[in-house]
Formats: sequence, C-alpha cells, structure tokens
Amino acid sequence: MTTRTERFAPGDRVRTRSVDPAGHTRLPRYARGAVGLVVEPAGAHPLADDRARGVAGAAQTVYHVQFAAADLFGAGDHTVTVELWEHYLTPVEEQA
Amino acid sequence: MARVNDVGGMAGFPPIVEEPDEPRFHSDWEAHVFALNGALIRRGVYNLDEFRDAIERMPPQEYLASSYYEKWFTAITTLLVEKGVATAEELAVPDDHTH
Amino acid sequence: MSGDHGSSVISAHVREVEALLEERGLLDDGEIDRRIDEFAAGGSPANGARVVARAWVDPGFAERLLADANAALPEVGLSMSGGLQEQRLKVVANSATEHHVVVCTLCSCYPIALLGPSPSWYKSEAYRSRVVRDPRGVLREFGVELPAATRISVWDASAESRYMVVPRRPEGTEALSEDALAGLVSRKGLIGTALV
Repeated sequence: MTTRTERFAPGDRVRTRSVDPAGHTRLPRYARGAVGLVVEPAGAHPLADDRARGVAGAAQTVYHVQFAAADLFGAGDHTVTVELWEHYLTPVEEQA
Repeated sequence: MARVNDVGGMAGFPPIVEEPDEPRFHSDWEAHVFALNGALIRRGVYNLDEFRDAIERMPPQEYLASSYYEKWFTAITTLLVEKGVATAEELAVPDDHTH
Repeated sequence: MSGDHGSSVISAHVREVEALLEERGLLDDGEIDRRIDEFAAGGSPANGARVVARAWVDPGFAERLLADANAALPEVGLSMSGGLQEQRLKVVANSATEHHVVVCTLCSCYPIALLGPSPSWYKSEAYRSRVVRDPRGVLREFGVELPAATRISVWDASAESRYMVVPRRPEGTEALSEDALAGLVSRKGLIGTALV
C-alpha cells in the first residue's frame, strides 16, 4: 500500500505527545504523555488534526500502540491499544 | 484544549443502558441526517474530520444534552455556514407555530 | 430536545435544510431516499456472524483473517469498501486467556459498512468513558464475568482502523453447521461485550 519508511517497528517503546492541542486531535487525553509498545503499523493516512483544519498533509504511518492500564490510570491489569499517527509518537530509549 | 467528546477514563456518566431490539434509526429524520452527511462529504463540501471537529466544538452542555443525530445535525448546519453554503439565518430553526 | 414535539421540530428543520441544498445544487432529487435505501441494504451483524462462523470451522481462514482481515473477507463474499472509503479492519480473537473489547472513546467509530450501525450504548459517553478504565466492571454490567486470570485487551478505534472480535466457540457446538454457528453470534459478541 505504501513504500514510505516506518519510523517505528513492532516492539519499539514510544512516548505519546503531552501537548494539549487547540483543535481536533485523535490522541485521546487519557493516552497523552504515556509510554506504550508498538504492536504494528496499520497503514498511512494524512494526520487527522490537519484534515480537520482543511489542510491535506502527506500520509504518515499510523500504529497500534499498546499501553498498560496502570501506566494510563495508575490502576488496572488490562491493556488499552490505541491507534496513533507517527506525529504523536517519540522514541523511548532503552534503559541500560 | 481537551474537548467534551474526549471522555475516555472520565468518571460520572450514568450507567450503560441497552435498548432491546433497537431499530437502525429511531425516527425518519435521523436517517435523513445520516444520509445528508454522507452526501455532503462525498460531494466534498467538507471532510469527515471537519465533521468530527464540528461536533467536538459544540458547547459541552449542548453536546451532553443532545442525542447522537442531533449532534450530527448541529455539526452539519455549522459547517454549511462556515463553508459559505448558506447563512445562519437561512439555516435557523423553522418558525414554530405550536407555541 | 426529545419527545414528539422536539422530534417534529427537528424533522421539519432537516427537511428545510435538504430543500435548500437541493436548490443550491448540492443534493439531487431523491438522493437522500436512495442513500437511506442503500444503507438499509448494506452492513448487518449477520455479516460479522458469518465471518466468525467461518473462522470457527476453518483454522486456515481464521489465521488469514487475523493477519489481514481486508484480504480475507472476500473469501466469505464481504468487504470493507461499502462506506465512504475502504477501511482497514483489524480482527482480534478471544482465547482461554485473553478477552478483547472494542470502543471508540473520541466519537463512535465502528465497522458500519460491514456490521451496520452500532447500538446506542456503544455511542454513549457512559460506555466510551468507562470501558478503557474499568473494562472488567463494564463487562460485568453486560453480564460477562471473566475469570480473574483472563487478560482483557481494550481496543480504542481512535484513527483509521475498525475492529471486530471473534468470540470463543461455545462448547458442545461440534455438530453444528456453519450457518447454525453463525446464528449463535451476537452483535455484542462482535464488539466484545458478550461471550458470543
């Protein structure tokens, strides 16, 4: 479907942006500033935040990112997997 | 700033209510709103993200008091004005003669 | 907002907006009715039930479905292209150790082209707010009591993919035909708020 290079691979640890944007976003508030695990890339699409402002940006990879509930809410033994654009994610360096 | 639609993890909403044998639409106008939105998006009057954005920009108290398709219709009329298709006056609620 | 009076006011309002759009060339005569008919003839939970039944009887199909649902759906005569655009479908399967449940916390994303419209509870703030935080409690309200050792995976349809759950095949159904198996699968089972 796409030949772009994906910045993240399954198993990578990523941190979501903690920015509280002024407009439309598809990074839910409960998953902001959280560390999760990339499950898999899931296609490429223009960033919804841009499309909502009528701006047609270039397609970028979206990923399924899995979070431990305890890392999102401080409690819970389940996981929550959220689909997130690359724009929302930064790499988390493995600790030595 | 976080908008009223972004409810994941929030407390305080009422219990979940299931509706047995729920119809696809509860009234004819809901089906019309559904079809109208699809027609306008396919024509490129606005896109799906602009539509979601228009729902999210509703004042929180109005968002929470509106039914699902009332939210849709509010967003449609908001966008029709913003896109210059019609004026707010043209899209105002029709005169209600029952009062 | 609600009740017969509110409904008749909004009903008249919707018709006026439609008339105005027809006048401005943004709607064709009869287009709304045509779209409503098309939609009524489109997706339904029966489609999902068929997919699940096939996955139960055909392990090869189940494997292909979980790996790439869009590529596997045509095997049962279905696709994800009935809506505004073809959407990616991610199918997840429950097991003895893991239970999946689907939500869209930001709005109400759902595989509508395949399964038809979602139930009202799926679109409610009550469900959307709580299932990511306390899925076990929400499932209990739906009458689903999972063993403490069962892991729960919540999927938030926050972007372009849509999700469907393959429930576990009930015990004692070895003799049932594929059609009869499909008859066991509920819409809630496809979302993850019922066991089947």
